[in-house]
Amino acid sequence: MTGKIFMIRKTFSYSLLFLSLFVFCYPQVNATPKNITISVSLDRDTIGMDEQATLQVVVSGSMQNLPAPRIPTLPMFEVYSQGRSSNISIVNGQVSSSLTYQYLLLPQKPGTFPISRISIVYNNKRYEGNPVELTVLNNGTATPPKLSYESQGKNGQKKDYFLEAVVDKKNPYVNEQVTLTLKFYIAVQYYGSPELSEPTTTGFWTEVLGNKTPYYQRIGNRNYKVIERLYALFPTQTGKLTIGRAAIRTTVAVRNRNRDPFGVFGNIFNQGRDVTIRSRPLTIKVKPLPEKGKPKNFSGTIGKFNISATANKYSVEINQPVSVTIKISGIGNIKSVAEPVIPQLKDFRVYKESSNENVAKSNGKISGAKIYKEVFIPKRAGKLQIPAISFNYFDPQQSKYKKIATRPINLKVIEPEGYTTSTELPYPSPEIVIGNKINDIRYIKDKIGKTKPVGSLTINTSLYVIVNGLPIMVFVGLVFIRRRREKLNADIGYARSRIASKMARKRLAKAKSMADIKMGSDFYAEIYNALISYIADKLNISPHGLTIDKVKELLKTKTQNQLLIDDVIDLFQKCDYVRYAPSSITQEDINQALQKAEKIMIAFEEVKFV
Amino acid sequence: MYKKATIYFSIIFLLAIIPQLSISAQVDEFKMANKFYQSKDYDSAIRLYKSILKQGRESAALYYNLGNAYFKKGDIGYAVLYYMKAKRLDPSDDDIRQNLKFAKQFSKIQMEGVTLNPINSFFVNIVDPYRLSTLAWISSIFFILFFVFLIIRYGMGMNTIFIKIGIIILLVLLVISSSLTTFKYHNEYIIHRAVVVSENSPVYTGPSDHSDIEFEGAPGLVVEILGESSDYFHVLFENKRQGWIKKEYLAKI
Repeated sequence: MTGKIFMIRKTFSYSLLFLSLFVFCYPQVNATPKNITISVSLDRDTIGMDEQATLQVVVSGSMQNLPAPRIPTLPMFEVYSQGRSSNISIVNGQVSSSLTYQYLLLPQKPGTFPISRISIVYNNKRYEGNPVELTVLNNGTATPPKLSYESQGKNGQKKDYFLEAVVDKKNPYVNEQVTLTLKFYIAVQYYGSPELSEPTTTGFWTEVLGNKTPYYQRIGNRNYKVIERLYALFPTQTGKLTIGRAAIRTTVAVRNRNRDPFGVFGNIFNQGRDVTIRSRPLTIKVKPLPEKGKPKNFSGTIGKFNISATANKYSVEINQPVSVTIKISGIGNIKSVAEPVIPQLKDFRVYKESSNENVAKSNGKISGAKIYKEVFIPKRAGKLQIPAISFNYFDPQQSKYKKIATRPINLKVIEPEGYTTSTELPYPSPEIVIGNKINDIRYIKDKIGKTKPVGSLTINTSLYVIVNGLPIMVFVGLVFIRRRREKLNADIGYARSRIASKMARKRLAKAKSMADIKMGSDFYAEIYNALISYIADKLNISPHGLTIDKVKELLKTKTQNQLLIDDVIDLFQKCDYVRYAPSSITQEDINQALQKAEKIMIAFEEVKFV
Repeated sequence: MYKKATIYFSIIFLLAIIPQLSISAQVDEFKMANKFYQSKDYDSAIRLYKSILKQGRESAALYYNLGNAYFKKGDIGYAVLYYMKAKRLDPSDDDIRQNLKFAKQFSKIQMEGVTLNPINSFFVNIVDPYRLSTLAWISSIFFILFFVFLIIRYGMGMNTIFIKIGIIILLVLLVISSSLTTFKYHNEYIIHRAVVVSENSPVYTGPSDHSDIEFEGAPGLVVEILGESSDYFHVLFENKRQGWIKKEYLAKI
């Protein structure tokens, strides 16, 4: 197995990646070869004498170590090997490889020449490719300047080959493109493709622009074939920067006396001498960008740019996205183009959608476009405008900062039917939502509050009973009082009778204070008045014009107590008598009269008047 | 004369101050119990809260804290019992309602098919947020006002339209408020409710352990006591199922 790997390496000198791939896929690789096909093709089947054709031989098969094809001697052509490329694919565990060999055919004379018998031998078996035919027309075009064999170091002659490195600017701004051109001049024949070691470009961002089609140039008396390779260099720092040497290794033809063009197969490929050609290093002084007029937040983009913005629709419903494509294109390091700043918009929510860039290399300049897609979501209906979006860059040709801007985009935003606007509040939506599910009991109370006897009820407290009983009592009492008052009002006689003894007692008290012999007549007058008004009140009659006889009559109708009537009459007569003969009374009479009056009144109170 | 007044005043003062002193002692005990609760010594907290009850004083907060302590101890039956006692004293307190509802969820047995009499629950919903005393005092106010109007009408003889209408309105209000008060009183004090507090409390079909077991009760179940016979309570569950439970397994609210 190791031997096999070694062989693979020897045969193809592939990269390590391929190698490991083969090791990994070895069991499949080792499978018996199914078939080997050789297909031969020409890029064109008719050429002029001054033209060349490319012969392509594709050897393909299901194994990896295919041998090189044998090319029969083609005496009508000069044949140059143009190298080989390989392609290996593994599909469903099946390895198939194909090797493509290219040969450059330079016609020697006109005519039609078949090219056949291109073959390989594998495992003692011969495989042959399809024959092709190439017609060379004698159309009389000038033969290309024939490159001579390597000079034998003749004096005064230009070199046979040299490598030149030139830059278009020696004093660029930082980030401004510097085009480096490597020119390989060769005046002698060489074989195969020259092998190039790229120059070191530390301090630059380098983009290879590619090779130009070779051309011929006459310098002095010699014809040189010139191969140009271009690089775009963008200095990333200021100050002195050095572009290192480039080197080309190639095989130049040397004059070989033993050369036999019809000789042994293959000797034309191996004739020559390996040479290495170097260029001179270059020094470049990089200027910083001028501070004057430098916009704020300048991102450092240099070149010449345009900006444009387009929307995918110009009429949209509320909250529906509009995709706006902002394209910044132009010459310069497109990769360094910073994203345009979209200002905060009150009518839109803005989201980034995507960005991509494409870089083109044309005419020795790096150019391209950076495309930003932004989504604008209108927040309200009406005619809205996406404002101009501006972009700053530095134009090195004019040594000026430039500001470019897109045209504003007008949008018609429609409110769909049944749309309800939600008020925009300057708060974000909640980050944490707390549900109403509780996890524990609520905490104990701090204060015992108002305590009451265990089991006591308000409705059983005496306060409650009293408060509620009171109005009943007041009501009953008041009703009772009112009833009584009504009775009083209705029966004045009853009232007089009730107050009679009160009045009489007052008068008797007054009489008592006069119970003295010196004022005897006054005393009797008082007794008389007291008694007469007392009886009048009791009998509910007017005291005026009440005589003793009348009293006697009235009393007789009201009571059967003859003794009481006699007493009353007796006392009245006494009083009358004293009024007309005051001198006859004694102190004893006065006292007797007072007692009698009191006795009468007590008796009267007990009398039930009908 | 002065001596007598001094003695009277001192007696009144003492009568006024003695309950004050005992109240402040209860407040201290309550705070102490809260501290025990805070330090998660629920047994000590329960002992102290109960000692206040033994002194013959109760309050919604006291019952509530007791309920919390029992809940934290893991005794759902007594937790529900004391929350219900607390709720009866202060039905408007949200903490009590919340914890009662929360604690009931933890009962191992949940009753299915609880149907409510719509008329009954209508009145329950009306009176539920108010204390019995509040309803009683509202009725009292209408009662007194009604009599004030009656006094004006019949005691003083003022018989204006205002008084006549006032008497009718107040009579209506008085009837409504006193009906609600009576309803509340009946619902909370005449109907006896109890909570199952014991694990393994079988519900029998009759008042003896020879009867069949209907189902196994669990702490936290609330029942209505329909009647009793020596060792058993005849109980009605929330979903109208009936049964007999040993008295010692229940705690009356």
